[in-house]
Amino acid sequence: MLPLTRREFVRRSAGGGLGFLAFSGVAPSFLTQSALAQAPAPERDRTILVVIQLAGGNDGLNTVVPHTDDHYHRLRPNLSLKSGLLDLNDDLALHPSCGPLHRLFEEGQLSIIQNVGYPNPNRSHFRSSEIWETGSASDEYAKEGWLGRFFDNTCAGQPGAETDPTAVHIGDIMPQSFLSRDTHSIFGLKPRGRVDRGHDPAELAYEKLLQADHGSGSASYLQHTMMNTLVTERRVDQFIRGYRAKTNYPGTKLAQSLKRVAALIHADLETRVYFVSQGGYDTHANQLNNHARLLDELSGAMGAFQQDLVAHGKDDQVLTMTFSEFGRRPSENGSSGTDHGTAAPLFVMGSRVNGGLLGTAPDLDLGHNQDLRFSTDFRRVYSSVLDRWLETDPQKVLGQNYEPLSFI
Amino acid sequence: MNPKPPTPATFRVEDAWRPLPESVWNEETAAHLLRRMGFAATPDAVQTALRTSSAETIANAFSEAAPMAMPEALASFQATAHESYRKIYRGLTDREAKRMARNELRQRDNQLFSDYALAWFHHARKPENSATEKLVLFLQDVFVVDRQVVRDAPALFSMQALLREGCRMEYPELCKRVSREPAMIRYLNLDKSTAQKPNENFAREFFELFSLGEGQYSEQDVKEAARAFTGYRARNRYEFFLNKRLHDSGKKTIFGKTGNWDGDAVVDLTFEQPAARTFLIRELIRFYLTVAEVPEPYLVALGEQWAARDFDLPYLIETFFQSRLFYHPAYRGNLVKSPIQFYLGLCQELHLDVLPLEGRLLQSMSVMGQSFYSPPNVRGWLYGEHWINSTTISARRQLVDFLFSPLNEDRLNANDRRDLQRAREEGRAEFLVTEERLAGILDIEPAAIARHLTTYFITPPFRNTYKPVIEDLIAEAGNPQKAVRNTIIALLQSPAYNLC
Repeated sequence: MLPLTRREFVRRSAGGGLGFLAFSGVAPSFLTQSALAQAPAPERDRTILVVIQLAGGNDGLNTVVPHTDDHYHRLRPNLSLKSGLLDLNDDLALHPSCGPLHRLFEEGQLSIIQNVGYPNPNRSHFRSSEIWETGSASDEYAKEGWLGRFFDNTCAGQPGAETDPTAVHIGDIMPQSFLSRDTHSIFGLKPRGRVDRGHDPAELAYEKLLQADHGSGSASYLQHTMMNTLVTERRVDQFIRGYRAKTNYPGTKLAQSLKRVAALIHADLETRVYFVSQGGYDTHANQLNNHARLLDELSGAMGAFQQDLVAHGKDDQVLTMTFSEFGRRPSENGSSGTDHGTAAPLFVMGSRVNGGLLGTAPDLDLGHNQDLRFSTDFRRVYSSVLDRWLETDPQKVLGQNYEPLSFI
Repeated sequence: MNPKPPTPATFRVEDAWRPLPESVWNEETAAHLLRRMGFAATPDAVQTALRTSSAETIANAFSEAAPMAMPEALASFQATAHESYRKIYRGLTDREAKRMARNELRQRDNQLFSDYALAWFHHARKPENSATEKLVLFLQDVFVVDRQVVRDAPALFSMQALLREGCRMEYPELCKRVSREPAMIRYLNLDKSTAQKPNENFAREFFELFSLGEGQYSEQDVKEAARAFTGYRARNRYEFFLNKRLHDSGKKTIFGKTGNWDGDAVVDLTFEQPAARTFLIRELIRFYLTVAEVPEPYLVALGEQWAARDFDLPYLIETFFQSRLFYHPAYRGNLVKSPIQFYLGLCQELHLDVLPLEGRLLQSMSVMGQSFYSPPNVRGWLYGEHWINSTTISARRQLVDFLFSPLNEDRLNANDRRDLQRAREEGRAEFLVTEERLAGILDIEPAAIARHLTTYFITPPFRNTYKPVIEDLIAEAGNPQKAVRNTIIALLQSPAYNLC
């Protein structure tokens, strides 16, 4: 089934459902305009960023493994990986669970940025996530997320100007990265299940009340956001249920989340930023099995997503990046796990990335429980994404200039 | 729909803060006061208010409140917490054993925190406590601390208790007391601040977020003030003490004045700055009245009066809620309810107990965007339209749906069952709207129902546009019982109900 354009949707449901919203005299102008306009929406071919959060602190050393380094095996007598590794070069290899990511690396669709962190690292999940999500220094308390500031700089700000969300997150809570000065149309959906409310006996009454004249100000803002949500929920539900992926996505939560993102990208929403999250990386104990499962989920989901984008011809529009609030300590702890650390590698995936390993691997000549010293500041990654992918002045978002990285 | 907001040209500055004439103390103004000062304007509360004056209504609203008692389990945890943590850090040498013991203690703390959160909802839901607890919410959004940083339920309780007391203090005194609260000391890193290495976090936020606002102080002022706040520590985890060894008692120059200033002196110097007269008033207006800018002359006028009263908070609150500006007709249905007001307002208006299913209630608050003591960052919640996006709207709608649906007890988990059992034993398990509740209004004709519902649930600007819609919905329906139920659900999800 072909994806429904907004116009088609309104036309198809004109006999009931939402049709009356669009054609009634008091419907907000954005609905009627977009429903009636013949011209395609202007932003269709813009680049799209997908952010995957690895929540809990991903163990970088067992993700991109320095298996020829004796220090690695010294620091991790029980946790170091020795077999089944997927070579990236003579000294580094991906975790054995990362088959799909390894394939993408070999095809040049995956860049790995090594040893990413920031000065004076904070080891609290909460605070370090805040630092990453706000794109600030560790002694700076920024109030907006780095993507929120991107929205503030590029988007009109008032929902109603467009039907499509500015940004979409999968999960119940809006990510801190999206916090912004102005209000934007942010849409959240669950990884599984219906997006709209299905059969709801009170819905007709709700729609009728929404159509009443609400004047201006906050009432009109609420009216527009509610109408917009209603329209978007139903459209998104249709897109997702009608979507035919061209690969088999694993049944994991992350893979199913990314499948939803693929469906929305395929539907040509004007949305430019998607945020999904995978939890469980806080591997203080019994790390080997848990981490293998996590990376298997990550790699399988990212691999399927990229393959699907390629098959649908959307791959050159999409860049996917991962981040985690910190890496883990090089020395293993006494419960076959690792404690909170500092720097870690991150992945950038897409048909238009340059591929390869960037930055320098961490120096492991460390004493017991010493931490890694980062070599690439995470804001250099953001800066490059903003500048070369989202085509925004990074200084306006990050407050200063960072030397770009050549992964795109 | 609303008249234009006041400007000095249309509404004289000299009149703005004078008390509302008693001649216009009526159902509409009383309802406005109750919705803004508390969480809802139920008909009973409006009638009670009309039996007295606006001044007395305001005074009673704050004087009848009871302080919140510390839950017993939390109190006994606090009594031993310091010793328990000390045992872990001093007594255990094995890292693993240490971590496990610490995690166990933290889990206990987390559970007690959730219980405290739920207990607070019960406390704030009582109409006699609502005005005070809303003011506490306001102060919590000024003096922000975050549970995920503080991770200490007794310290968070103590901080909130101080703010509750603070409602009756002079504001500079409250600032001083806040700087001594263990939760604040931890949250803004005063516990890391020493004479050798002053940490600027608290000093900066004190100027920016508690007293003056951005741009009203220099970087030099921040640096010098940070020195004055060095050595602030918590002893035995919960008692303030000034560690003289870590305190910088040298000369500092702040706002051009040089002296051996300590933290309290910094607070006093700050309140000599003109910006301190209007800062909190601006925040108060944003919280209670409008998120639109109110012309500066109004703020300056009230700021002068307030400063002349030594920044007495009760004076400010009473003057504000009695003022003609507060009752200006532009300020009806213009302010988005916070998730807490949305939920507690529903409880009061529908005569419901607070949902005893702790996990479900706290999760719902969190998806609506106002998780207890977890603001998005140090600036706190932004209020107004920032509450609203597709996710939070859906969460508000789901909450209403939940309140109007029968509870499927078979699907409750063990914790929920335990919570429900306890609520029933304590006689506070009327937390859903049952069919019988709605029976009362079914016999009335549609026009009267529409009038009743719009008067009861929403503000004047929307009544005339909503009434015919509601009347039609009920009149056209084949099954009036279902129609009334669905109409009320929709009304409680509508833009008008989300505003106050």
